[in-house]
Amino acid sequence: MILHAVERVLQTILVLLVISFVAFMLIATLGDPLGVLLPPDATMAERNALIARLSLDQPLMQRFLSFLGGIVQGDFGLSYRTQEEVGGMILERLPATAELAIASLVITILIAIPAGILCGVRPKALVSRVIMFVSIAGITLPNFVVGILLIAVFSVQLGWLPSFGRGQTVSIGGLETGLLTWSGWRAIILPAITLAAFQMTFVIRMLRTQLMEVGQSEHIRFARARGLSEARIWFVYAIRNALLPTVTMLGLQLGNIIAFSVVTESVFAWPGLGSLFLQSVQAADIPVIAIYLIFVGAVYMLINLAVELSYPLIDPRLKRRGA
Amino acid sequence: MSSQPLLQVRDLSITLTRAGMHLPVLDAVSFDVAAGEVLGVVGESGAGKSVAGAAIIDLLVPPLRRASGAISLGGDRLDLMRPAEMRRVRGKRVGFVFQDPMTSLNPVLSIGRQLTDTMRTHLKLGRGALRSRALDWIERVGLPNPRRVFDAAPHELSGGQRQRIVIALALCAEPDIVIADEPTTALDVSVQAQMLDLMRTLHAETGAAMLLITHDLGVVAKMADRVAVFYAGRVVETAPTRTLFEAPRHPYTAGLMAATPAPDHEGRMQVTAIPGAMPGIGALPSGCAFHPRCVRAKADCLSMAPPLSPLGDGAAACFHPLQRKDVP
Repeated sequence: MILHAVERVLQTILVLLVISFVAFMLIATLGDPLGVLLPPDATMAERNALIARLSLDQPLMQRFLSFLGGIVQGDFGLSYRTQEEVGGMILERLPATAELAIASLVITILIAIPAGILCGVRPKALVSRVIMFVSIAGITLPNFVVGILLIAVFSVQLGWLPSFGRGQTVSIGGLETGLLTWSGWRAIILPAITLAAFQMTFVIRMLRTQLMEVGQSEHIRFARARGLSEARIWFVYAIRNALLPTVTMLGLQLGNIIAFSVVTESVFAWPGLGSLFLQSVQAADIPVIAIYLIFVGAVYMLINLAVELSYPLIDPRLKRRGA
Repeated sequence: MSSQPLLQVRDLSITLTRAGMHLPVLDAVSFDVAAGEVLGVVGESGAGKSVAGAAIIDLLVPPLRRASGAISLGGDRLDLMRPAEMRRVRGKRVGFVFQDPMTSLNPVLSIGRQLTDTMRTHLKLGRGALRSRALDWIERVGLPNPRRVFDAAPHELSGGQRQRIVIALALCAEPDIVIADEPTTALDVSVQAQMLDLMRTLHAETGAAMLLITHDLGVVAKMADRVAVFYAGRVVETAPTRTLFEAPRHPYTAGLMAATPAPDHEGRMQVTAIPGAMPGIGALPSGCAFHPRCVRAKADCLSMAPPLSPLGDGAAACFHPLQRKDVP
């Protein structure tokens, strides 16, 4: 069990190294940092100083190692566009995206899990059919359409909720959060729903299919034959068997939200990582793009690692003994 | 009061709905089980014996449906009960042993959890009492090291060990009758004998009646006080076990016995198969369902299904039953 965990952690580190290398090759081969960073009238001395500072005169492997070393020490390089520290830029945008991701995950869990259970337990009920019908919309409508529709109804027509920005934010230990202000709460509702729409559909459908399948199994019939209540049968005996794929899915989705909230953030002018990424792409700001890539990879890997290490808690068959 | 059997099934009919048609699976089946008695229900697969067992505690899965019939347990009509009432019967008054130990236990919950949950549903016991009683049951069904088994997940046990747990689960709320649906079929032959011994011991200890559903005449011979033989959704013969084996009256019963390997006078094993196959659901012949395979069939067998009529100390559904002298 522990051996397995260690193995998985090592695998994760290996994959992150590979991602870092790809990101580094982006920086090393694309664009001309000197041209971007130096003023047109720079002297040869200034030019050489920058070359030395960016270690451009070193061999490639050497540069990769110092790039890695920098990352470990929190030095992520300089943005071509703003000439600021990339680490600072990401850190500044991170809370907005994290808030959005967590909010949409909470919405997903609160709505999709009960809805999925309902659809799985009573697949023929009218409510279940309605849920399934509506959830098709979640899959077929692209994210930005959902966002624009929500804006059209709740911001433009009804005027209940703001259509862009984060509202007022409060600084806690250097990080800005909107979750402590009224306007921040109002601002996060629409983008969080937009982001949640897609994954809710998946969770509902996954849970439904899983529960319908588990509901047919002999052990559920046997539980019923022993007189256990329907509530206990579904909420303990069946759901424990349906949870594994759902948790896996939620983990992947959380990674997805953090990584690819680009579209939603741009529809709602949400000042998060996604919009930073878009700005960087437009300005060919390679270092930011590269670090963003590594960051996304790391988030993905860590969430999946956490999910996978939680499997044995859900299903005892996945406990491994030794090697 | 005491003359009333514990379980009384009268004219139970079950249909299978297929393409809008209600095909008969069980046709007006009646049988009784007295308190403490073991009734063996034998027949080929598809004869309707498992369906009859499941129908008693309303466990039929659509498209199977109970069409008619009365089922009484200790004077209470099970067939008229609402779901909430039926839940208090399941486990508490009627235990059910499932066939396949590999799929009958919840794979993600510990053995102890499944036992205590079942007892908690029916018995008013505190946490400590539930736990110690669960440990007791694990020991009673013959598993060593109860504490380890209590915390184990089903996959950590062998098939035979799991079937012991299935039996413990069926008995732990102290039912008056246990329905055992092919309890040994999924097990290795060596384990089957152990399981029958265990069931006999527990039957003697608890005094619970048993409805033992099996296709194996050997199991019936070893366990049952009385036997009901099913063929194509009907009871064709009932008799005390000894009578049935010594002098089967229905030609099908006799054929079933002949199809069980037995040594002849030279010590060689002999098997005589019944020609043909049991008709499938929705393909019943007219009259007696057995007549196409029966050497004794006459014209009357084709026109009308023979009713189950008393014969000796049993009953048979046959116009031309074997006489005691017919049996070698």
